[in-house]
Amino acid sequence: MYNEVFNKNKVRDTYSSIMSWAKSLPYNVVVKKKLQAENLFKKIGITFSVYNNFDNAERLIPFDMFPRIITRLEWLNIKDGVVQRALAINAFLRDIYSKCEIIKAKKIPGDLIYKNPAYEIKMIGLNVPKNIYSPIIGTDLVRTDSKSFKVLEDNCRTPSGVSYMIENREIMMRMFPELFQKLNIEPVDNYSSYLLDILKTLTPRNCDSEPNVVILTPGPLNSAYYEHSYLADTMGIELVQGSDLFVKDNITFMRTTEGKQRVDIIYRRIDDDFIDPLTFNHTSVIGVPGLFDSYRAGFVNICSAPGSGIADDKAIYSYMPEIIRFYLGQEPILPIIKTYKCANKNDKNYVLKNLDKLVVKEVHGSGGYGMLIGSTSSKAKKNQFYKKIENNPENYIAQPILDLSTVPIFKDKDLAPRHVDLRPFTLIGNKKTRLVAGGLTRVALKEGSLVVNSSQGGGVKDTWVLRG
Amino acid sequence: MLSRTAENLYWTARYVERADSIARLLEVAYRIHLIPNTNEGYLSEWDSILRASGIKEEYLRKHKEINKEKIEFFLLFDESNNSSIKSCIVKARNNLKMVRTAVTLEVWNTVNSWYHELENYEQEKYTSKNLPEILDWVKRQVNLIKGTIDHTQLVNDGFDFIRLGIYFERADFTARIIDVKYFILLPSSSFVGSQVDNFQWSLMLRSVSSYRGFKWAYGNSDIDYKKIIDFLILSNICPRSIFFAVDKINHHVNRLCQFYNSKNVVHRKINTIYKGLLNSSAEQIINFGLHEFLTKFIDDIGNVYHDLEIVYFSGTQE
Repeated sequence: MYNEVFNKNKVRDTYSSIMSWAKSLPYNVVVKKKLQAENLFKKIGITFSVYNNFDNAERLIPFDMFPRIITRLEWLNIKDGVVQRALAINAFLRDIYSKCEIIKAKKIPGDLIYKNPAYEIKMIGLNVPKNIYSPIIGTDLVRTDSKSFKVLEDNCRTPSGVSYMIENREIMMRMFPELFQKLNIEPVDNYSSYLLDILKTLTPRNCDSEPNVVILTPGPLNSAYYEHSYLADTMGIELVQGSDLFVKDNITFMRTTEGKQRVDIIYRRIDDDFIDPLTFNHTSVIGVPGLFDSYRAGFVNICSAPGSGIADDKAIYSYMPEIIRFYLGQEPILPIIKTYKCANKNDKNYVLKNLDKLVVKEVHGSGGYGMLIGSTSSKAKKNQFYKKIENNPENYIAQPILDLSTVPIFKDKDLAPRHVDLRPFTLIGNKKTRLVAGGLTRVALKEGSLVVNSSQGGGVKDTWVLRG
Repeated sequence: MLSRTAENLYWTARYVERADSIARLLEVAYRIHLIPNTNEGYLSEWDSILRASGIKEEYLRKHKEINKEKIEFFLLFDESNNSSIKSCIVKARNNLKMVRTAVTLEVWNTVNSWYHELENYEQEKYTSKNLPEILDWVKRQVNLIKGTIDHTQLVNDGFDFIRLGIYFERADFTARIIDVKYFILLPSSSFVGSQVDNFQWSLMLRSVSSYRGFKWAYGNSDIDYKKIIDFLILSNICPRSIFFAVDKINHHVNRLCQFYNSKNVVHRKINTIYKGLLNSSAEQIINFGLHEFLTKFIDDIGNVYHDLEIVYFSGTQE
C-alpha cells in the first residue's frame, strides 16, 4: 500500500511541515476547528441531497482538515495526461458520430459503439459547434505506488464536485491562514472564470454577438444543486430551469422580467434523457420542448452534447489507450487499470473464477452503485453477481482490487490513514484548454474502505498543488 | 432578471410579511384573553381572526369548534393550514432557496436561521403560555429579515420585487382586517364614547400594530370611527395603512418602469388607485360604503397583481 505521507516510518519531505503542524494541534483545537468548518459549510449552504426512499434531507459532506499535497512534478504529469485524454475523447466523439474511422480501422468493435445504449443515434451527422462535444471532463485518478497516477474513470457528461474543490480551499484559508504563508500553493478559485471563458468559445452557428450563457439545472432537489447555483453565481450568469426556457421558431429564449431574451449556450446539468421531451424522454418535465431542434438548427449549443456519455462508458474505458494513439498519434501519458471485459469469453471465465480478487462494475453504473468489491462482500452478494455476470456478461467489467494510496485524516485524538482518489477538471474549448492546478480529493472515511463516493459515506479534503 | 427569480423574490417577501401579520393578529387574541368577562367578545374576536386570515372554513373542517389553544396551534404550526406561520416560514425559505444567489448571504442567513429556529419552538408541546415568546420571536425575525434586505441588498430590480411582495401583502391584509370588522366603524352602531366601542376600536388598531401610532397622530382624547378610517386607509404616515402600501407599490412599479425603460398596464392601474386614494376623504369612503369600498379595493389590487404577473413573471412578451 502506498502511503502518500510516510515512506516507511519517515515523513516525506513534501508533507514535513504539514505533519508537524497537524501533530502540534491540541485535541481541543482540532475539535473546535472541525465544528467551525461544519458551521461554515452549513452557513454557506453547501449541502448535497442523497436519493433514497426515506428522506431527501440536506446533508453536509464530511470535510477532513488534513490537506492532500501534490508536488509540481506530479501535477505536470497529471495535467498533460488528463488534457491528452480530454482531447482524445472529443476527437473520438466527433468520429463516432460522423465518419466512424476508428471502427473502419478495426481499432474498436463496431458493436461496442452501435449497440451501446449510450450511443445517441440522433447525434449522427449533426454539426456540433466547434466540434467540442464534452468541454468539461472530470477524470478520476488513483495511485497505487510511487509511480504515475492511474486513470480509474472518465466523467464527460456532467461531472460534479468542482464547487467542493473551491469551497474546501476557501474554508481551509479561513481556518488556517498561517499554512498558506508557509507553503506556496496554486490557487483554485479561478475555475469559474476559466469555465466561462471556455464556454464562450463554443458559440453555435447562428450567434454573431456576445453569447448569452446559462446553466440549466433540474432544480433545488438535485443533489448537486448547490454547485449549480455556486457556478452560476461566480460566473455571473443565470441559473435556469426547464420552465425558464422556451423555443420559438427554433430559437431558444429565456423568460425575463423584460420579456423574452435569447440564449446561445447552455451548460446543462441535466441528463440527456430529460433535455427535451419532444425528442427524448417524453415524460420529462424538467426539459425544454423543442430544444433539440433549436440545437440542430444551430441556434443554441448544449454543453455537453447529447450522446457524450458513451465516451465514459466503462466498456469503452479499456480502449482508451487505443483511442489516444489513433487520434493523437501519442502514447497515453496516464496508464489505465487492467480491465476484464466480461463480454469476452476468456475474461468472463477469469472473472467468475476470481471474484474474490476483483471489483466488478456494471458497465453503465455510476456513483458507486451496482458494484461488487470481491474481497469484502458477503457470499450471498458474490453469488448474486456470479449469476448476473453469467446471464448478462456484456453488462459487466472487472478490475483488480486496487490498493489505493492513503492520506491521514483527523480521527479522534490521532491521525489515521484513509484511502483517497483525485478528480481534476479539464476544460476544452475552441482551440483552448484550461485546467486549474488542483482537484477534488475524495476520502473513504471508514477504515479499510475503498469507496470514496459521497453517496456512500465518503468525505473530501482540500488538495494542494505546490508551485515550486 | 429571470422571471422566475423575480417571482420567487416576490413570494419570499409576501410570505415573510404574512407571517408577521398572522403574528400580530394572534397578539390581539392573546390580549383579549387577558381581559376578564369578555367571553362573548372573545369568541367573536376569534371568529374574525379566522375570517381575516381567510381560513375559517379550513379550521372548522378540521376542528369543529372554536377552541383557543387549537386555533393558536392552527395558526402557528399547522402545516395543513396554508397561512400558518410555519407554512409561511417554510414557503418563504423554499422560494428563496430557489434563487439563493439573488440575495446576499446575510439575507439568506436570516431566513435560513428563522427556519431552523422554528424547530426549537415546535419541539415543545404547545400551550398558550408560550404564545408571547413565540410571537416576539416571529416579529423579531421578520424585522431582522426586512432590515437585512434594506441594508445589504443591491437596490436593483430584484429589490423592487421584494418590496412589491411586502406591500401587496400588506395592502391586502389591512383591507381584509378592516373589512372583517367594518360594522364596528359604521356610524349607526357607534355610541360615541362608549366603552364597548373604544375597546373594539383599540383592538382593530392593535391588530395592525397601530394603536400607539394612532395616539401619537391624533392625540389621546377622542378615538372615533372617522379618524380610524382615515388612519388605517388614507394616512401617509401609518406604515400599515392601505395608502402607505399603495404608495410604496406605486413607487416600486415606477422604478421598474424606469429601470426597464417601458411603461405598461401595471403602471397605469396602480397609478389610478394611488390617485384615487390621494383624493379621497374618510367622509367620502363612508358615503360610498366602507364595505363596498374595501371590496372594490381588494378586487382592484388583485387585478394589478394579475397584470404584474403577466408583464413580469411570464417572461414571454416581446
